Amino acid sequence: MLNYFLALVLGLFFGLSLQKAGLTKYHKIVNVFRFTDFAVLKFMMTTLIVSMTGLYTLKWMGVITLPAAPATYIVGNIIGGLIFGTGMAFSGY
Amino acid sequence: MQLEKKMDWLKEQFQKEEWSPYVAGALLGVVGILAVLLSDSLLGASGAFENLAGAIGQTVAPQLFDNMYFNYVMRPEITWSGVLLVGVFLGGMIGAWSSHTWKLRLNSDEQWKQVFGPSWPKRWLLAFFGAIVLEIGAGIAGGCTSGLAISGGMLLAPAAFIFIGAMFASGIATAWLVYGRRF
Repeated sequence: MLNYFLALVLGLFFGLSLQKAGLTKYHKIVNVFRFTDFAVLKFMMTTLIVSMTGLYTLKWMGVITLPAAPATYIVGNIIGGLIFGTGMAFSGY
Repeated sequence: MQLEKKMDWLKEQFQKEEWSPYVAGALLGVVGILAVLLSDSLLGASGAFENLAGAIGQTVAPQLFDNMYFNYVMRPEITWSGVLLVGVFLGGMIGAWSSHTWKLRLNSDEQWKQVFGPSWPKRWLLAFFGAIVLEIGAGIAGGCTSGLAISGGMLLAPAAFIFIGAMFASGIATAWLVYGRRF
Protein backbone atom coordinates (compact mmCIF):
# COMPACT_ATOMS: atom_id res chain seq x y z
CA MET A 1 0.00 0.00 0.00
CA LEU A 2 2.79 2.38 0.95
CA ASN A 3 4.44 1.46 -2.31
CA TYR A 4 1.38 2.60 -4.27
CA PHE A 5 1.25 5.82 -2.29
CA LEU A 6 4.89 6.43 -3.19
CA ALA A 7 4.07 5.77 -6.84
CA LEU A 8 1.34 8.41 -6.70
CA VAL A 9 3.57 11.02 -5.07
CA LEU A 10 6.51 10.32 -7.39
CA GLY A 11 4.08 10.46 -10.32
CA LEU A 12 2.92 13.92 -9.19
CA PHE A 13 6.46 15.23 -9.45
CA PHE A 14 7.03 13.34 -12.70
CA GLY A 15 3.97 15.04 -14.24
CA LEU A 16 4.90 18.41 -12.76
CA SER A 17 8.40 18.29 -14.23
CA LEU A 18 7.07 17.39 -17.69
CA GLN A 19 4.42 20.10 -17.59
CA LYS A 20 6.80 22.79 -16.34
CA ALA A 21 9.34 21.91 -19.03
CA GLY A 22 6.56 22.42 -21.59
CA LEU A 23 6.81 18.82 -22.80
CA THR A 24 3.03 18.48 -22.78
CA LYS A 25 2.97 20.68 -25.89
CA TYR A 26 2.99 19.39 -29.45
CA HIS A 27 5.46 21.94 -30.77
CA LYS A 28 8.03 21.22 -28.04
CA ILE A 29 8.17 17.56 -29.03
CA VAL A 30 8.14 18.06 -32.80
CA ASN A 31 10.61 20.93 -32.84
CA VAL A 32 13.39 18.85 -31.33
CA PHE A 33 13.16 16.75 -34.49
CA ARG A 34 13.34 19.93 -36.59
CA PHE A 35 16.38 21.17 -34.65
CA THR A 36 14.56 24.37 -33.69
CA ASP A 37 13.95 23.72 -29.96
CA PHE A 38 16.18 21.44 -27.94
CA ALA A 39 14.12 21.45 -24.72
CA VAL A 40 13.37 17.71 -24.98
CA LEU A 41 17.04 16.84 -25.38
CA LYS A 42 18.16 19.22 -22.60
CA PHE A 43 15.49 17.76 -20.32
CA MET A 44 16.32 14.12 -21.07
CA MET A 45 20.06 14.52 -20.80
CA THR A 46 19.83 16.46 -17.51
CA THR A 47 17.57 13.75 -16.09
CA LEU A 48 20.00 11.06 -17.20
CA ILE A 49 23.06 12.79 -15.79
CA VAL A 50 21.42 13.55 -12.43
CA SER A 51 19.89 10.10 -12.00
CA MET A 52 22.86 8.04 -13.14
CA THR A 53 25.22 10.05 -10.93
CA GLY A 54 22.89 9.69 -7.96
CA LEU A 55 22.19 6.00 -8.46
CA TYR A 56 25.79 4.97 -8.94
CA THR A 57 26.88 7.07 -5.94
CA LEU A 58 24.23 5.37 -3.79
CA LYS A 59 25.32 1.99 -5.11
CA TRP A 60 28.95 2.80 -4.33
CA MET A 61 27.93 3.81 -0.80
CA GLY A 62 26.17 0.48 -0.44
CA VAL A 63 22.75 2.05 0.14
CA ILE A 64 21.01 0.42 -2.83
CA THR A 65 21.37 -2.47 -5.22
CA LEU A 66 20.48 -1.46 -8.76
CA PRO A 67 17.27 -2.97 -10.16
CA ALA A 68 17.40 -5.07 -13.33
CA ALA A 69 17.99 -2.81 -16.32
CA PRO A 70 15.70 -3.03 -19.38
CA ALA A 71 16.82 -5.89 -21.61
CA THR A 72 19.00 -5.24 -24.63
CA TYR A 73 17.94 -7.04 -27.81
CA ILE A 74 19.46 -4.91 -30.53
CA VAL A 75 17.10 -5.58 -33.45
CA GLY A 76 13.98 -5.17 -31.29
CA ASN A 77 15.31 -2.02 -29.65
CA ILE A 78 16.08 -0.49 -33.05
CA ILE A 79 12.83 -1.47 -34.79
CA GLY A 80 10.78 -0.47 -31.76
CA GLY A 81 12.65 2.81 -31.53
CA LEU A 82 12.08 3.56 -35.21
CA ILE A 83 8.33 2.92 -34.91
CA PHE A 84 8.20 4.85 -31.66
CA GLY A 85 9.88 7.94 -33.13
CA THR A 86 7.41 8.01 -36.01
CA GLY A 87 4.47 7.97 -33.61
CA MET A 88 6.11 10.57 -31.40
CA ALA A 89 6.67 13.01 -34.27
CA PHE A 90 3.10 12.48 -35.47
CA SER A 91 1.25 12.85 -32.21
CA GLY A 92 3.61 15.24 -30.49
CA TYR A 93 3.44 13.46 -27.15
CA MET B 1 12.20 37.59 7.46
CA GLN B 2 14.89 35.83 5.54
CA LEU B 3 12.84 32.63 5.43
CA GLU B 4 9.77 34.53 4.28
CA LYS B 5 11.72 35.94 1.36
CA LYS B 6 12.88 32.48 0.41
CA MET B 7 9.34 31.15 0.55
CA ASP B 8 8.16 34.00 -1.66
CA TRP B 9 10.89 33.21 -4.12
CA LEU B 10 9.92 29.54 -4.17
CA LYS B 11 6.27 30.42 -4.68
CA GLU B 12 7.18 32.73 -7.52
CA GLN B 13 9.21 29.99 -9.20
CA PHE B 14 6.39 27.49 -8.73
CA GLN B 15 3.93 29.82 -10.44
CA LYS B 16 6.08 30.31 -13.51
CA GLU B 17 4.54 28.77 -16.61
CA GLU B 18 7.77 27.34 -17.89
CA TRP B 19 10.92 26.26 -16.14
CA SER B 20 14.32 25.83 -17.66
CA PRO B 21 14.46 22.28 -19.08
CA TYR B 22 17.63 21.79 -17.02
CA VAL B 23 15.75 22.49 -13.78
CA ALA B 24 12.73 20.36 -14.71
CA GLY B 25 15.03 17.59 -15.96
CA ALA B 26 17.03 17.63 -12.73
CA LEU B 27 13.76 17.31 -10.78
CA LEU B 28 12.85 14.21 -12.79
CA GLY B 29 16.35 12.86 -12.22
CA VAL B 30 15.80 13.12 -8.46
CA VAL B 31 12.38 11.44 -8.86
CA GLY B 32 14.09 8.62 -10.76
CA ILE B 33 16.61 8.13 -7.94
CA LEU B 34 13.88 8.19 -5.28
CA ALA B 35 11.85 5.60 -7.22
CA VAL B 36 14.77 3.16 -6.97
CA LEU B 37 15.70 4.12 -3.41
CA LEU B 38 12.19 4.02 -1.91
CA SER B 39 10.23 1.64 -4.13
CA ASP B 40 12.92 -0.38 -5.92
CA SER B 41 11.05 0.53 -9.12
CA LEU B 42 11.82 2.23 -12.40
CA LEU B 43 9.81 5.09 -13.84
CA GLY B 44 7.86 4.18 -16.96
CA ALA B 45 4.77 5.22 -18.83
CA SER B 46 3.98 2.92 -21.75
CA GLY B 47 3.92 -0.38 -19.85
CA ALA B 48 0.94 0.53 -17.68
CA PHE B 49 -1.19 1.06 -20.78
CA GLU B 50 -0.41 -2.49 -21.87
CA ASN B 51 -1.38 -3.87 -18.46
CA LEU B 52 -4.59 -1.88 -18.66
CA ALA B 53 -5.26 -2.97 -22.25
CA GLY B 54 -4.72 -6.57 -21.14
CA ALA B 55 -7.18 -6.18 -18.28
CA ILE B 56 -9.84 -4.70 -20.56
CA GLY B 57 -9.07 -7.19 -23.33
CA GLN B 58 -9.34 -10.24 -21.09
CA THR B 59 -12.81 -9.13 -20.01
CA VAL B 60 -14.08 -8.16 -23.46
CA ALA B 61 -12.38 -10.77 -25.65
CA PRO B 62 -10.81 -13.38 -23.34
CA GLN B 63 -9.71 -15.71 -26.14
CA LEU B 64 -7.95 -13.03 -28.14
CA PHE B 65 -6.01 -11.85 -25.09
CA ASP B 66 -5.22 -15.32 -23.73
CA ASN B 67 -1.61 -15.43 -24.86
CA MET B 68 1.91 -15.49 -23.50
CA TYR B 69 2.29 -11.74 -23.68
CA PHE B 70 -0.74 -10.74 -21.64
CA ASN B 71 -0.56 -13.75 -19.32
CA TYR B 72 3.08 -13.45 -18.37
CA VAL B 73 4.94 -10.47 -19.83
CA MET B 74 2.37 -7.72 -19.29
CA ARG B 75 -0.06 -9.07 -16.74
CA PRO B 76 -3.58 -7.60 -16.67
CA GLU B 77 -3.42 -5.75 -13.39
CA ILE B 78 -3.00 -2.33 -11.86
CA THR B 79 0.74 -2.03 -11.51
CA TRP B 80 3.05 0.35 -9.69
CA SER B 81 3.52 2.29 -12.91
CA GLY B 82 -0.27 2.38 -13.39
CA VAL B 83 -0.57 4.30 -10.13
CA LEU B 84 2.43 6.38 -11.20
CA LEU B 85 0.50 7.42 -14.32
CA VAL B 86 -2.41 8.67 -12.22
CA GLY B 87 0.14 10.78 -10.39
CA VAL B 88 1.62 12.03 -13.67
CA PHE B 89 -1.82 13.14 -14.83
CA LEU B 90 -2.55 14.96 -11.57
CA GLY B 91 0.97 16.41 -11.47
CA GLY B 92 0.48 17.85 -14.93
CA MET B 93 -2.79 19.41 -13.79
CA ILE B 94 -1.10 20.92 -10.74
CA GLY B 95 1.60 22.33 -13.00
CA ALA B 96 -0.98 24.03 -15.20
CA TRP B 97 -3.04 25.26 -12.25
CA SER B 98 -0.01 26.72 -10.51
CA SER B 99 0.71 28.95 -13.49
CA HIS B 100 -2.99 29.73 -14.07
CA THR B 101 -2.84 28.26 -17.57
CA TRP B 102 -5.19 25.35 -16.92
CA LYS B 103 -7.97 25.40 -19.46
CA LEU B 104 -9.92 22.82 -21.45
CA ARG B 105 -8.92 23.08 -25.07
CA LEU B 106 -9.78 21.00 -28.12
CA ASN B 107 -6.75 22.07 -30.09
CA SER B 108 -4.40 24.55 -28.55
CA ASP B 109 -1.20 24.34 -30.50
CA GLU B 110 -0.62 27.26 -32.87
CA GLN B 111 2.15 25.49 -34.74
CA TRP B 112 -0.08 22.45 -35.35
CA LYS B 113 -2.79 24.70 -36.77
CA GLN B 114 -0.32 26.34 -39.13
CA VAL B 115 0.72 23.00 -40.51
CA PHE B 116 -2.49 20.98 -40.51
CA GLY B 117 -5.24 23.59 -40.37
CA PRO B 118 -7.69 24.58 -37.64
CA SER B 119 -9.71 21.33 -37.46
CA TRP B 120 -9.68 19.83 -33.97
CA PRO B 121 -11.06 16.38 -34.89
CA LYS B 122 -8.14 16.06 -37.27
CA ARG B 123 -5.78 16.88 -34.41
CA TRP B 124 -7.42 14.24 -32.21
CA LEU B 125 -7.41 11.64 -34.98
CA LEU B 126 -3.74 12.19 -35.81
CA ALA B 127 -2.80 12.19 -32.14
CA PHE B 128 -4.74 8.94 -31.64
CA PHE B 129 -3.12 7.33 -34.66
CA GLY B 130 0.32 8.56 -33.65
CA ALA B 131 -0.15 7.30 -30.11
CA ILE B 132 -1.06 3.81 -31.36
CA VAL B 133 2.10 3.73 -33.48
CA LEU B 134 4.11 5.02 -30.52
CA GLU B 135 2.73 2.42 -28.13
CA ILE B 136 3.39 -0.43 -30.58
CA GLY B 137 6.97 0.81 -30.94
CA ALA B 138 7.37 0.99 -27.18
CA GLY B 139 5.99 -2.54 -26.85
CA ILE B 140 8.52 -3.92 -29.31
CA ALA B 141 11.49 -1.96 -27.98
CA GLY B 142 10.71 -2.77 -24.35
CA GLY B 143 9.87 0.73 -23.15
CA CYS B 144 9.25 4.35 -24.04
CA THR B 145 11.06 7.62 -23.48
CA SER B 146 10.76 7.25 -19.71
CA GLY B 147 10.77 3.49 -19.18
CA LEU B 148 13.58 2.67 -21.58
CA ALA B 149 15.47 5.83 -22.61
CA ILE B 150 15.62 7.43 -19.15
CA SER B 151 15.22 4.51 -16.73
CA GLY B 152 17.43 2.28 -18.86
CA GLY B 153 19.90 5.05 -19.54
CA MET B 154 20.42 5.83 -15.87
CA LEU B 155 21.35 2.16 -15.35
CA LEU B 156 23.64 2.39 -18.38
CA ALA B 157 21.66 -0.25 -20.32
CA PRO B 158 22.82 -0.41 -23.96
CA ALA B 159 19.18 -0.83 -25.03
CA ALA B 160 18.43 2.72 -23.88
CA PHE B 161 21.06 4.34 -26.07
CA ILE B 162 20.20 2.20 -29.08
CA PHE B 163 16.56 3.19 -28.57
CA ILE B 164 17.35 6.91 -28.24
CA GLY B 165 19.30 6.80 -31.50
CA ALA B 166 16.53 5.01 -33.38
CA MET B 167 13.85 7.23 -31.90
CA PHE B 168 15.59 10.42 -33.00
CA ALA B 169 16.43 9.02 -36.44
CA SER B 170 12.82 8.20 -37.28
CA GLY B 171 11.46 11.25 -35.47
CA ILE B 172 13.65 13.51 -37.58
CA ALA B 173 12.69 11.64 -40.76
CA THR B 174 8.98 11.86 -39.93
CA ALA B 175 9.16 15.56 -39.08
CA TRP B 176 11.03 16.13 -42.33
CA LEU B 177 8.30 14.34 -44.30
CA VAL B 178 5.50 16.15 -42.49
CA TYR B 179 7.04 19.60 -42.66
CA GLY B 180 8.59 19.35 -46.11
CA ARG B 181 9.93 22.73 -47.16
CA ARG B 182 9.05 24.24 -43.79
CA PHE B 183 11.45 21.89 -41.98
